[in-house]
Amino acid sequence: MNTAATTTTDDHADSHDHEHHDPRLAHHFDSHQQQFDTGKLGIWLFLVTEVLFFSGLFGFYAVYRSLHPEVFLYASQFLDTVLGAANTVVLLFSSLTMAWGVRCAQLGQTRGLMVCLVVTLACAAIFLGVKSFEYTEKAHHGLLWAGMYHSPEHHDAAAADGAAGAGDHAHDEAAAAGDHGDDELFEKTKHTLSYMTTVLWVVIVISGIALGLLFKNPNKKTLATVAGCVLVSAAGMVIGAYSSIGYHHFGHAEKPTDEEILMAETVPAEYAAQKEKVPEPKLAGTFFSVYFCMTGLHAIHIIGGMIAISWLIVRTAHGAFTTYYFGAVDFVGLYWHLVDLIWIYLFPLLYLIN
Amino acid sequence: MATVVDSSNPKSDFPIQYRELNYLNCSKGWKSWFFTLDHKRIGIMYLIGVTCAFFLGGLFAVLLRTELLSPARILLSADGYNQMFTLHGAIMTFLVIIPGVPAAIGNIILPVMLGAKDVAFPRMNLGSFYLWMFGAAFFLAALALGGLDTGWTFYTPYSITTSTAVITALLGVFILGFSSIFTGLNFIVTIHTMRPPGMTWFKMPLFLWALYATALIQILATPVLGITGLLLVVERAFHIGIFDPALGGDPVLFQHFFWFYSHPAVYVMILPAMGVVSEVIAVHSRKHIFGYRFIAYSSIAIAIFGFLVWGHHMFVSGQSKVVAVVFSAITFSVSIPSAIKVFNWLTTMYKGSIRFTTAMCYALAFLFIFSIGGLTGLFLATLATDIHLHDTYFVVAHFHYVMMGSSLVGLFAAVHHWWPKITGKMFSEFWGRIACLGVFLGFNLTFFPQFLLGTRGMPRRYYTYLPEFQNLHILSTCGAYLLGLSSALMAATLIYSVYRGKKAPANPWGGASLEWQCSSPPPANNFDHPPLAGDPYIMESVVYNEEIGGYVPVECQGAKKGSVTASGDKEA
Ligand code: HEM
Ligand SMILES: [Cu+2]
Repeated sequence: MNTAATTTTDDHADSHDHEHHDPRLAHHFDSHQQQFDTGKLGIWLFLVTEVLFFSGLFGFYAVYRSLHPEVFLYASQFLDTVLGAANTVVLLFSSLTMAWGVRCAQLGQTRGLMVCLVVTLACAAIFLGVKSFEYTEKAHHGLLWAGMYHSPEHHDAAAADGAAGAGDHAHDEAAAAGDHGDDELFEKTKHTLSYMTTVLWVVIVISGIALGLLFKNPNKKTLATVAGCVLVSAAGMVIGAYSSIGYHHFGHAEKPTDEEILMAETVPAEYAAQKEKVPEPKLAGTFFSVYFCMTGLHAIHIIGGMIAISWLIVRTAHGAFTTYYFGAVDFVGLYWHLVDLIWIYLFPLLYLIN
Repeated sequence: MATVVDSSNPKSDFPIQYRELNYLNCSKGWKSWFFTLDHKRIGIMYLIGVTCAFFLGGLFAVLLRTELLSPARILLSADGYNQMFTLHGAIMTFLVIIPGVPAAIGNIILPVMLGAKDVAFPRMNLGSFYLWMFGAAFFLAALALGGLDTGWTFYTPYSITTSTAVITALLGVFILGFSSIFTGLNFIVTIHTMRPPGMTWFKMPLFLWALYATALIQILATPVLGITGLLLVVERAFHIGIFDPALGGDPVLFQHFFWFYSHPAVYVMILPAMGVVSEVIAVHSRKHIFGYRFIAYSSIAIAIFGFLVWGHHMFVSGQSKVVAVVFSAITFSVSIPSAIKVFNWLTTMYKGSIRFTTAMCYALAFLFIFSIGGLTGLFLATLATDIHLHDTYFVVAHFHYVMMGSSLVGLFAAVHHWWPKITGKMFSEFWGRIACLGVFLGFNLTFFPQFLLGTRGMPRRYYTYLPEFQNLHILSTCGAYLLGLSSALMAATLIYSVYRGKKAPANPWGGASLEWQCSSPPPANNFDHPPLAGDPYIMESVVYNEEIGGYVPVECQGAKKGSVTASGDKEA
């Protein structure tokens, strides 16, 4: 903001000629300073509306958590804290690169700005990749919103029944059957995800080719940059999805204890130990309603942010931003920090209960 | 026809009254309208859209009232009746009253009042108009896809189980909500950053204060409606068990969320109309507004208090007693700022030289009707009486007195007050006043009997009734017909003036705020140079000039004869 102020006045002091023809100054503003302040106030107000938009969900969360604390205690165990934490780190890092990008824009360092924006975009994509793994995995365990929720205990019982039906039910065999069922679920998850990643690979190849072809063509700068953005996003999502699969595999292969086998895949051992103490509450599905609504809405905002960042990248490629005109970067940056901040709240509220 | 000073006559002492090239004719073709970024053109498109929606909603109302002529079936089936009143309510609230004054009139007038060239974000402004259109399209789609029968309030659990087009309508509401948010955001930013030199906060015309307060509510309350609607959509589509008691959800939570928006939203409807009335009464009484700061602060107070009273819609929904008492008390206090405004308007008129122009007549009608509407709100805010009156025609009459009789009449006042500025044409005062009288009488005839019906126990949203209610229902229906005809007459008068009216001078009524300083209709960029703003209510700063047929600044008038003092009396 200060930068804008000083630069603008300087700018006006020594050049009068382009005052009215500066394409970067909209016709209804008197000065760059006014234009910048207007945008700044506008984005802050917009963020206020965003906060209120989410506040409906947070209010809902508060109501249900206070009415049914046991539901939250029980069901949050099914969320994978490690994946959530990884995503938190990724988003925090993207906030850093975004802020850095704004600084670059203020200093007129176009190349630095470009790098920062691309990294931010990639982080956002990784976040989404991890999230899609989590969603798919939940879906295969039947851990869905209230209307679609299947109790994991019931599901384990079914697996045990299956084992019993097979004949002898020595403990090891039952455990093996459970293990098998889990493996199957995990394979299903991987399978579903591999559809997604196949599509992403196709996108990567196509946009990669497009980028390669258009890269040197000065007339197709916009198209080339768009292709680049798509490439980065798709690649980021693939990385995110694969690394969560990898992590999961790793964690799974390590030591499949009895408790782990008994419970759904992501349940920590401590929970399994205290299973008798916390029986499954009746409204367990409501937690997943909250989970999907909140993280889903947040993911939509991430996607919105990715579109906005791509737009910035395209404009940066055209050299739109200068030391006295960088409002757009600043404003998207603020939005991005908000999206990040909301996740910072969502993570403990959903994943870290207990 | 009085001579008007054209831009082609640079020797004239008077400010330019009329320009050959103005925002209406500076470019042609449908593209120049549909892709325009000019706030005035966007405002006009809003005005046209709102008018169409008003007549559609009005048609539904007339059908409803016709059905109620007798307890037996006349036109509509019972289900048809439910759908009719739902769409009537939804269209009138979301498509007419909420965008009416702010988005249509505010868009045209706000930047001009500020001496600015445009609103802060012209593209967003156009965007919010298109969002409005989309939202309206969704409503029409809901109509086509089998209607909607939940009432405009979408109460759960019925809205989860009904087979009508709830999702379509809710998406419409969601989109309209964003249209409203963007308009509000634009206005706040414009008022903050684009005031002209000399216009401090307390030199702003009160209409701007009102729009500012409205915009605050719009951006603070509407997102909650958005998310509530979205959750209900998700509930219906995926059964997430948030509002659905069958899945352990809480249907009353929906009411809380809904009214957390919708009570403030009633102030989105009334505050701009109050702003209009502040302008109209001061200008047409030719007197400085009385208690400027009180009116300004009371707008903000209403905006703030409005957030704390939503529970008064839920007195019988199973609130705890303590909560009910608190909500009741706060509801009482919210009527104080409203009353402050009414007293200030009355005092402004005191010893003013009141001219009964059409706009002023509407403003007076507003005062009368709003007083009744506001006072009956107090009956409803009283716990004991509300148990009896809740969900009866008394509530229907109350909110029509405030929404139709005040907000909409405020819109009518605004349209008549600024019509010469917007279109550059004068309408027939005679027919305008006749229409105003018709609206006033028709309105009271329609809704006053409903107070009586309500106190006697006629429940709202019913298709049939006990025979002893029939006389009052017939009265009410007659009133509705008169109201419909009068509004059609009003529209006809105004539209006629566009083609046959005489050219309007820059300042036909003698207003001192900035919009009267630019020619009528304004040029595309409003002002060539940012004007200097002073106190917008010093009516002595302009005097009547017969040659021009309008008011000119005192400085220009000089010693010319035929001048009239500010108060409108002929000088000896
Ligand atoms: C002056 C102060 C006001 C007070 C004290 C007041 C009070 C109330 C109360 C207590 C109710 C609930 C009645 C019930 O359902 O049993 C109510 C309903 C309503 N009021 Fe007001 N009100 C005021 C002004 C307004 C204004 C200015 C508007 C709109 C412009 C408005 C619009 C409505 C509407 C639309 C409803 C009914 C909503 C529905 O159930 O469909 N009110 N009012
Ligand atoms: Cu209310």
